[in-house]
Formats: sequence, C-alpha cells, structure tokens
Amino acid sequence: MAQETPGLPQEKKEQNIISQLLRFLSSMQLGIILILLLAFISIFATLGEQETAVQKVYRSWWYLGIMAFTALNLLLCTLRRFRPIMHLTFQPQKNKTASAISKLKVKRVLNLQAKDEAAALAKVKETLAQNGFKVSQVTGTEGSTVFAERSAWGYLGSLITHASLLIILLGAMYGALTGFEEKNGGIAGDNFQVKSGGFDVAITAVRMEQEKDPTVRPRVFSDVRITKDGKEIAKGTVSINQPLRFAGNTIYHTSFRYVSDVTITSVQDGEKHEVQLWDHGQVRLDDEGTILHLMQFFPNFTMNADGIPYSKNYLPERPVLAGLLIENGRAVRNVFLQLNKPEVIKTAEGELELLLTGFQHAAIYSITRNLGRPILFSGAVLLIIGLYLSFFLNPRRFWVKYDQENAALFIGGHSPRHKLFLEQELERLESEIMSREGE
Amino acid sequence: MSGYIPVSATAIFWENTFFNIASALYILAMFFYLTHLFGRKQLGSFASIVLRIAFLVHSVFLIMRTINLQRVPFVGPYEFGNMFIWATALVYLWTEWRLKDKYFAVGAFLTPLITLYIVYLTVVPRLIPAVRISRLHQQLRPVLQSPWLKIHVSASIFGYAGFTLAFAAAIMWLVKNKAGEQGVLAHTLPQKNILEEYMYRAAGFGFLFQSIMIITGAIWADTSWGSYWRWDPKEMWSLITWFVYAVYLHARFTQGWTGLRTVALVMVGWVAMLFTWVGVAWLLTGIHSFG
Ligand code: HEM
Repeated sequence: MAQETPGLPQEKKEQNIISQLLRFLSSMQLGIILILLLAFISIFATLGEQETAVQKVYRSWWYLGIMAFTALNLLLCTLRRFRPIMHLTFQPQKNKTASAISKLKVKRVLNLQAKDEAAALAKVKETLAQNGFKVSQVTGTEGSTVFAERSAWGYLGSLITHASLLIILLGAMYGALTGFEEKNGGIAGDNFQVKSGGFDVAITAVRMEQEKDPTVRPRVFSDVRITKDGKEIAKGTVSINQPLRFAGNTIYHTSFRYVSDVTITSVQDGEKHEVQLWDHGQVRLDDEGTILHLMQFFPNFTMNADGIPYSKNYLPERPVLAGLLIENGRAVRNVFLQLNKPEVIKTAEGELELLLTGFQHAAIYSITRNLGRPILFSGAVLLIIGLYLSFFLNPRRFWVKYDQENAALFIGGHSPRHKLFLEQELERLESEIMSREGE
Repeated sequence: MSGYIPVSATAIFWENTFFNIASALYILAMFFYLTHLFGRKQLGSFASIVLRIAFLVHSVFLIMRTINLQRVPFVGPYEFGNMFIWATALVYLWTEWRLKDKYFAVGAFLTPLITLYIVYLTVVPRLIPAVRISRLHQQLRPVLQSPWLKIHVSASIFGYAGFTLAFAAAIMWLVKNKAGEQGVLAHTLPQKNILEEYMYRAAGFGFLFQSIMIITGAIWADTSWGSYWRWDPKEMWSLITWFVYAVYLHARFTQGWTGLRTVALVMVGWVAMLFTWVGVAWLLTGIHSFG
C-alpha cells in the first residue's frame, strides 16, 4: 500500500514526469514543430525591410530563444539516440532465429532440393559476398545464421548530421559572444586603432588595379601592418575576397573611396592650406558660413544631356572633384575642380583659390573577430559527411538461416530507408542463389 | 557603370541559336514523353533519345557561352537558369540510365518543368517588363571573382535539380492518385509507393547539395563580405527551403509519413525553392539581388 512505503510512489511518479518531459523535449514531433515555426517566422520577416527584420526578428530574444530551444531538442535527441545508434552500427545482432527472420518486412523462403546445410549456406555466403556484402556466420542455440551487411556506416548518418548541426550552432554562439565588428579605413600613411581588438592598423600602401574593361569597378589592394603595444603582430595585403587573417581577427576590404588633395590659397596674403577631402565631406572657407560641400570625385568626368555629371569609366583621364558652394545654409553654385586648374571663390574674408593637386585611394575595411570559425568549419565538414552517409549510402543487412526439416532457406533483410530497393535486391539474390543451387 | 565583354555578332548568333535549338528539343522531348504517357509506349525510348540530344546541344550552348564570356556562365538569372536546367536534365538522365527504361513516365512530368523554366527565361520577361533576364555578356565584378563562386553555384544547381525531380514525382503521385487503377495512366504510371521512394531519394539528393550550397555560400560571404551570415532574403529563403525539406525527410523517415502529407511537403519545398530563385530577385531586395 502506498501509505506503508511513504515517499517511494511519489518519487517514482516524479521520475516518470521527468522522463516524460525529457521524452517530449527530445522528440522529433517537437523538432518538426520548432523547425516549422522558425520557417514561418522567417518567411514573414523576409517580407519586410532587411534591417528591420534583423533588429526586430533575427536578433530578438524570442527568435534566438526558439533557436536555442530547437538546439536543446536536438541535443537531447542526439544524446538519447547515441548509444542505440552506435550499438546498431557496430554491434548488430548477428544471430536471429528462423521465426525472427520471418517477422522481418522483407523476407523469402527458398525451397532447396538438396538437404545439405553446409553446402546451402556456403552458396548463400558466396552469393552475398559477390554482391559486395560483408558476410559472417555465427552459431547460436538454434544453429548457424549467415549475417551479411553493406554500407553499415550509413546508420551513422543522422547522428553525425545532428551532431554537426549542434557544433555549427555552438561555433556561431561562441563566435558571436567573443567577437566584434568595426568599420574603418584610410589612405596610405594612415593609422587607426581597433578598440575592441586592442590593436593598431597602419596602412602602408594603397594601389588600384584596373580591370581589362575600365568600366568595371577596379580592385584596390592595400598593405597593412598590425601592431599591438608597439610590436608587429601581422602584416599583409588586403583586397576584395582576400582578407588578412590573424589570431581570429580578420581585416576585410569592403570598398574604396577617392580622397582629393586640395590646396586652398588666400589670394590676398598667399597663405596656403593643404587639405585631404573625402566625398561628402565639408570644408569651412570662412567664419561667415561659407562652406564647400564635397559631392563626389569623378576619375573620368563627363556630363550627360541633362547636365548630370558622371564618370565614363574608372580611368583617371579627367579627374574632377564636384562640390556645392553653400552660403548661410543655401546652396549658391556648383564647383567643379579640375586637376591643376585653379578656381577662385569669393568669401567674406576675401578671395580663395582652390586647386585640385591630386587624388588618392582610400581603402575601407570591416574588422572583425570570429573565434568560432574553426568550430563552424568542422561542423560544416561533418554536416556534409553526415548527409552523404544519410542519403548516398544505403545500409542494409540480411540474415539467412537453414531449416533442416523442410530443406528451406529463410532469408530476411532490413534497411532503414529503402525497403523497395531491398525487396528488389532480395529478388535478385534469390535468383542468383537458386541458379547456384542448380549447378 | 558595369562592364560588358565584347563578343562578335557571329558568336552571339551561334550562342543564341544553340540555346533555341536546345529549348526546342527539350519541348519536343516533352511532347514524346507525354505521348508515351498516354499510351504510345514505343515512343518512350525515342523521347529519351530526344532529351539526350537536347542535353548535348544545351551543353554545346554552355560551352559556347563559356568561350564567349571567358569564364564559367554562373552569374545572373539567364546563366544560372541555364545551368540549372542543364543540371536537371543531367540528373534525370542519370536516373533513367540507372533505373533502365522502367520510369520513362517520370520524363513526362520532368520535361514540362524544364519547359516551365525555359518559359521563365524567354517568355516571362516579355510579358512582365519588371523581370529582366539579360543575355548580355557581363564581366565579373571583383566580389564575384572567387573560386567559391564555382563551388557554390555548382552545388546549388544540383540541389535545385534534385528538388525539381522530387516535385515531378510529387505531381505524378497526385495524378496517379486521381487516375486510380483504371485507364491508360493506371498502366503507365508507377505505383504510388515507388513514386514516394523516388521522391524521397530525389529530395535527399537535393538536400545534400542545398546544404553544400548554404555552407559554401557562407564561407564565401565570410571571405568577401566580412561575415558568413547577413540574414539577407536570399540566404533566408534558402534556409526556409532547407527547413521544409528537413521537415519532409524527418516526417517520412521517423514518423513514417506517407501519401498526401509528404507529397504536400515536397510541393511546398519546391515552391520555396522557386521563390528563392525567382521571387527573391524580383520581389524582395538584398545584396544577392544580382541573381
Ligand atoms: C530539431 C530537432 C531535430 C530532431 C529532434 C531530429 C531528430 C531526428 C531523428 C529522431 C531522426 C532519426 C534518426 C535515426 O534514428 O537514425 C532524424 C534523422 C535525420 N535528421 Fe534529424 N532531427 C532534428 C533536426 C534535424 C535537422 C535540422 C536536420 C538537417 C540537416 C536533420 C537531419 C537529419 C537527417 C539527414 C536524418 C536522416 C533522415 C533520413 O535518413 O531520411 N535533423 N532526425
């Protein structure tokens, strides 16, 4: 009675609840629901703006929460199935009774003429071996069983696939928690500090390589030197698709800009200022609100019929820096600075001569740290192996037993995936065995 | 500013001619496969021969385009569409060869899908001006000049080919279901369980390549954009497609789902795949919108 053993039934019930809960949490049904949920939410998220979707959905606690829950489900499922799958793959039950064989879904009974177990099993073994099976024979209480298997590694497919997904998620999480991303850049000679990374970047050279077709955006290469506390820790060349990697950090070339060298000379007193101007930057020309707003640098300047300036291609044949002169907050006129052609502008403090003396290329970088990369990469390789094992191997097994009384062979097969194929194979094996029997 | 590769008018003429002949032959193959399906059994192997010739001519077209471009034709809707049609024909012909002549009926469902893809490349842009399928010979932008492009695109055309094949089998299943056990179709169409097996194998094949596509895409993005996952619509839709097929494979393998439910999942997966290919480019925006 329950009262006589207080505590025990209660404990048992708890265990039951816990194991039921674990069973639910590790179930495939829950997995399917979670994956479908992720799919539906993602569909809705892609219909809006990407930026909004990233902020409001993909990075939200609940989306990441569903993902974490899916990962937990997968982890529990993988743990629960680990031993059974290993057992199934590496320690298959080789011995089966005739009645167990006849309970398999794919099976045959072959009636033989001669009553000779050894000869019959030898023929079976020969046939199976010739069909690429690994064949063995075991003897149990009910006599010998021939056991044959092919592509047994295929049983591991789902396990490896699931483990690889967990590794990928782990790598992504680790990378996100330990990583950073900063944007920066500059021209040759510039230095900047990467605060989150605790290192400094010096750009020692920037050069542009035109494509064969000058209308195609050229490639820009930049040489960088990385120092930490004054000591060099890495150096190399960065260009598109060729980032520089060191100690889990990466410097990517994301784009390039033109930087114009402009000399501003006061016509009155000859006082000179040399400035480097980036597109969309501004220079104050006096204290009364006269501003030169830089629009864009054109390497090969021209205008279309509507008077809209554009660059014919990337060849530096007619460099022009286009800007707007702004007085008291109002745009008053366009300024086009051609290379080495001075332009005089009236300001409250007298006339200024603007001269475009040259231009340079600035490299723009994205600097990131991702320590999860090796984990992600191993996960990715494992995923492909796991899926290959799942879908390109067709693991299958046959058990064969000789029935002395009726001079019959009991053959049964099992395959986790392709029952139809197994049936066809058994049909083929049968005819091969029978034709050997006639020999 | 975007650069085009100068190609002589003759070269363009021959390239287009081979495309047109290949398209016509694919459509002709469809006609013979359908005739086979509706009872003219002897036309099955003839349809297969026409399809093989179509595939060869299409291969010649791709080689010509490769020569004209001086690179593999892997970029933009026109080139990708052609590669994808080519891969679909290849995978189907391979299964036909593997299964011998038992399943010519599948061809009657696959070739209409190939025709549909050809229509997308040729007729749809004329009807819907917003859909621009340019045949110009474009230079590769530096960001696309990467060996990962080749691996990424090769994987994706085979992924899409597998899903197309699975979809063809799904439609066959529906037709078989409707046709029942009487009439011409009852004899020419394989059994439902055979179709389900075919569908499962094709989906598994597609799933492996779709996974390789996502992984190589991520690796490539990591070397060029600075992060392996940007949540852009094309990425998300390939993930959604992948989720749908994952659900299908699990439902079939572990829950023992069969019949209409699995057929429906495969069809939803194909729609998601098509949207990843076509819908994202014209309806949604993102860094991938170059196709
Ligand atoms: C989210 C939770 C998931 C759970 C609980 C789960 C569970 C399972 C289970 C129980 C099996 C049968 C395995 C066996 O007995 O050998 C299986 C098979 C498989 N799973 Fe999952 N799975 C999940 C997610 C995924 C995902 C996202 C993928 C995507 C790659 C995946 C790929 C596979 C593959 C390839 C198989 C073999 C299927 C087949 O042979 O048809 N699983 N899964």
